[in-house]
Amino acid sequence: MASREIWLVFLTVSLLPLVCFGFSEEQPSDRRVLALVEDVSIKETHSIFFKSLADRGFEVDFKLAEDPDLSLQKYGVYLYDALVLFAPSVEALGGGGALDVAAVLDFVDSGHDLILAAGTKTSNFVRDIATECGADFEEEADAVVIDHTQFAITPGENDHSVIAADSFVDAPTILGSEHIPAPVLFRGIAHSVNTANDLMVTVLSASPAAFSGKPNTDLTEAPTLTGTSVTLVSAIQARNNARILISGSLDLFSNKFFRLSFQLSSNGLRYAKSGNEQFAVELSKWTFHERGHLKAINLQHHKSGGSGDEPSMYRITDHLEFSLEIYEWTGREWVPYQADDVQVQFYMMSPYIRKTLSHDGNGLYYTAFQVPDVYGVFQFKVEYQRLGYTTLSLSKQIPVRPFRHNEYERFIPAAFPYYGSAFSSMLAFFVFGLVFLYHK
Amino acid sequence: MANIVEVLSRFYNEYSINTSKRLKLIDAYLLYILLTGVVQFVYCCLVGTFPFNSFLSGFISTVASFILGVCLRLQVNPQNKSEFRELSNERAFADFIFAHIILHLVVINFIG
Repeated sequence: MASREIWLVFLTVSLLPLVCFGFSEEQPSDRRVLALVEDVSIKETHSIFFKSLADRGFEVDFKLAEDPDLSLQKYGVYLYDALVLFAPSVEALGGGGALDVAAVLDFVDSGHDLILAAGTKTSNFVRDIATECGADFEEEADAVVIDHTQFAITPGENDHSVIAADSFVDAPTILGSEHIPAPVLFRGIAHSVNTANDLMVTVLSASPAAFSGKPNTDLTEAPTLTGTSVTLVSAIQARNNARILISGSLDLFSNKFFRLSFQLSSNGLRYAKSGNEQFAVELSKWTFHERGHLKAINLQHHKSGGSGDEPSMYRITDHLEFSLEIYEWTGREWVPYQADDVQVQFYMMSPYIRKTLSHDGNGLYYTAFQVPDVYGVFQFKVEYQRLGYTTLSLSKQIPVRPFRHNEYERFIPAAFPYYGSAFSSMLAFFVFGLVFLYHK
Repeated sequence: MANIVEVLSRFYNEYSINTSKRLKLIDAYLLYILLTGVVQFVYCCLVGTFPFNSFLSGFISTVASFILGVCLRLQVNPQNKSEFRELSNERAFADFIFAHIILHLVVINFIG
C-alpha cells in the first residue's frame, strides 16, 4: 500500500514539468502575465494592447495595484512570468505595500520580464524601480516632455505635450523587421539613460527641439533634459536575459493613441493612424521573448578526418573541427539562426585563435582550425552579444598536450651528418676497445 | 719561424721515442674523435641549428668520447703511476667501457 503511495507521489512530481506552461529553457516565451493597473478602466482604455497579448497566447491576469491580496509568488514559486505595471501614480503595491521595490526587482533578478509605464503623475515607487533598472525619470513634479515643433494636431486640440516621435533605434530584433510608417505619439515624462550602462538601449528618443518642462508656464531656467537626450522609451536586457521595457508614457499604450488620426505639426502631414500600435506590440514581443531569444546547443569538436568522437585531449598542432547549433525562438518554435558574425575563441588566459564560424543555413555553425603550438588547458569559448538578442556565453574546457617523445620527426636529411658522427664515434669506440684490449 | 719548426720537430721526435705504443693508440682515437666533432660544428654553422637535438647529441657524443678518452689516457699513463696507485689499467679500461655504454644510450635516445 505504502509503495503505491510512493509511486503516486513520484508520478505526480515527474509529471509536474509537463503541467507547467511557464517560462522554461525550451519555451522561453512568457506565458502568464500579471497586469497591475491603478484603475479598472485601464483594462478598457488599453484593451487593444492587452488583446494583442491574449491573441498571442498570453494569460493576462488583471489586478488592481492596490489589491491587498497581491502576490507575485506562492511557496517560493513565481505565479507569473512577466509583470506589466500600468500604475504610474500608485505609491505602494498591494495596499500597505505587500509588494515593495525589492520584490519587483527580485522578480526581474530571477529572470522575469517587466513592462513599466510612467505618466504625467509618477509615484516615487515607479521612479525607484526605474532607477534600479538604470533609467532616471525627470524629477521635477508636473514636468512633461514638450515639443513645440513636432507635436500632434488633432481637431479641436493643439497640445504641445502630445509629441510625435519618430527617432527609433535601428534594431530590427527589438522593433520588428517592418518599418514603422507613422510617428509614435507620446504624452508623459522624460527619462535619461546613463551612457555607461551598456545593457540599456534607447528605443525611442525625442526630436532635437524637445525638452522637459512644465506646460503652460514660462521657462525661467534652462531645462535639465533637452533634445535627443530626452529618452521616451528604453529597453534593458539584464545579464540574466530578463527584459525590461520602460516607457515615460502610459498613454502610449492606450486605445486612444493607437487609433488617433492626427496632423504632424512640423510638416503638416496627416496620418490616419499613429505608429503606436505597431510600436507597442512589437516591443512587447521583444520584451516577452518572442523575438531575439537565442539558444546554442550541441557544442562539438573532434579531430579533422577522425571518427567524429570527441577526444578528451588534443596534441599541439592537431587539426580540429568545431561546431555548434544556434536557434532563435519565434514565440512558437525554434528556427535556425542565421548570422555571419558568430565567432569561437580557443582561449587560455587570452584568445590564441579567434575564428568566424560558417553556417549551413540550418542552424549549424562550424569551422576548422589548427591547435596552436602551445600546450596547457584551453577553452572553446563562444561569446555572442548583439543588440536585441539574448547573450550567448558558452565555454568548454579542453587540455592540449605536447608531443610525446616518439611523435617527433625522424630521419631528417639535414641531420644525417649528426647521425653519422654518433654512429662513427660508437664504431671508433668499438674498434679502439678491441685494439686496446688485444694490444701487447 | 725557424724556432717553431725546431720546437715542433723536437716535440715530434720526443713523442715518437718516449711515448708508449698504447698511449699513441689512444692519441689516434682522440684525434679521430676531435676531427669528427670539428666537422659537425662546421656543418652546424653552415646549415643552421634546425634539428637541434640531433646536433646536440652528435656533438656531445664526440665531446664526451674525447673527455672519456683523455681520462683513460691519464689513468693508463705510467708517468701518473703515483696519482693512480690504487687503480689498475684493467679497472681504468672497464670504467671507460661502462661510461661509454651509458653515453651512447643517452645519445641515441636524444638524437631523434
